[in-house]
Amino acid sequence: MAKITVPLGGVDKDYLSQLEYALAFASEDITSYRINEQDALVEADLKSEAASQSAKEKISELIQRYQRREFGLPKVIHFQQERELPAFDAWKALLERKWVTPVGQGHVVLRGVAALLLSLIERKVEAEFVKTFKAELEIFPSTIKCETLDRCNHFTSFPEHMDFVAHLKQDVDVLSQFSEECKQNGWSPARHEGRMAECDFAVAPSCCYHCYEAMEGWELQDPRCITATLACHRFEGANHRTLSRLRAFTMREVVFIGHPAYVIKSRAKAEELIIQWAKDWELACIFETANDMFFTKDYSVKASFQRQQQGKKELRLLVPQEEQSISVFSSNFHAVTFGKAFNIKFGDRPATTGCVAWGLERWVYAILSQFGLDSNKWPNKLREEFTRHAAGLPL
Amino acid sequence: MQTESIVPELRSFIRDKFKIPEGDQDFNDDVHLFDYGYVDSFGAVELTSFIEKRFGVKISDNDLIAHPLNTVREISEFTAKRLKGEV
Repeated sequence: MAKITVPLGGVDKDYLSQLEYALAFASEDITSYRINEQDALVEADLKSEAASQSAKEKISELIQRYQRREFGLPKVIHFQQERELPAFDAWKALLERKWVTPVGQGHVVLRGVAALLLSLIERKVEAEFVKTFKAELEIFPSTIKCETLDRCNHFTSFPEHMDFVAHLKQDVDVLSQFSEECKQNGWSPARHEGRMAECDFAVAPSCCYHCYEAMEGWELQDPRCITATLACHRFEGANHRTLSRLRAFTMREVVFIGHPAYVIKSRAKAEELIIQWAKDWELACIFETANDMFFTKDYSVKASFQRQQQGKKELRLLVPQEEQSISVFSSNFHAVTFGKAFNIKFGDRPATTGCVAWGLERWVYAILSQFGLDSNKWPNKLREEFTRHAAGLPL
Repeated sequence: MQTESIVPELRSFIRDKFKIPEGDQDFNDDVHLFDYGYVDSFGAVELTSFIEKRFGVKISDNDLIAHPLNTVREISEFTAKRLKGEV
């Protein structure tokens, strides 16, 4: 096994975690890596010495992406709530109680309090957001056309986390051979070789894309607000962990479509509501300006512009055991990106869109990490609402 | 150079570059160019590059944090002040 080091130089301290995330996708020759802040180095272990030069170049390219900042990288904290919390290993406790069972890389089954808490989050979204904005419910399929993702510019921003969908070729011989080999020797990835049809769908990486493609060519006279829940996929490579970074997770969204003033006002209202929610449940959190982790060479243009324009804000909940926070909610402004891509008009102009989104499993993990598994010991309002929810009563 | 003489030139550049129709009801010198979707991130790079080439004013990332530069008027005022050495 070979080891390499690459100088970090010039990456803002606040962005090291984003670089660390991105390094998981640098090269399949890298078996492990770490950021050595003290010596300002990326240290990596490789499968072989032969890959050293290529791996160094790839790591250097990623570092360069995080060194540039065309529009600055402002950090704005909109709300913060601190509280003393003991370190509690919620993941270990959830596994022991069998309230979480991992069923593959980044895949979990939730049960018991974990499952009930997740459904409470959804119920609270309905009670407080869906009601406030009179959002219309839409039901989306779990997979989405690659063509749609292309039109959303998803592949030019986040190619690394796609989970593509493909089926076996429609051919009797292929189907029979595949089936027979599985019968004889069981399934293995090798059974797919040369037998897969072209891929034209992917598991949806986000909830709201379906909303825009389904409104293609519409001419709106009034603003619309849509809500949906979707099982989404994002492949996270070495970043998969606990319920913080799942490959298969559940996203709830409320989407605003209309005039810019409507979207801006609605987004501001949604941000007020989420801050109130965090206060009510006494969550240790921070609500701050953020950026998407664009995984392309133009990272700095997109990320720094997004931050400069406050295009993304995130509510991050503290996970005391890990001494870090995880994003559980985001507020996003897309301007006319999707209005243009799908020819959705509001009056004479492309419609403006924005959305707010909840990562439901992350909420569960952060709350249980902060307050433990015993709901009787949770903060008052959270405990009361959980109890009412579990009993099937109104919140 | 005064703000008043920069405004029409900048407005004209933005209209042409980002294909804003003459009849667009929302477009004016005080509209938020980014919120209203007239200019996106790559457009913003083109915009700062135009200002640098045409007026010799470089807009740094610190300028973007320190000054509101979201409308034709705000950008023109900033450019005029920078030319005079006031910012």
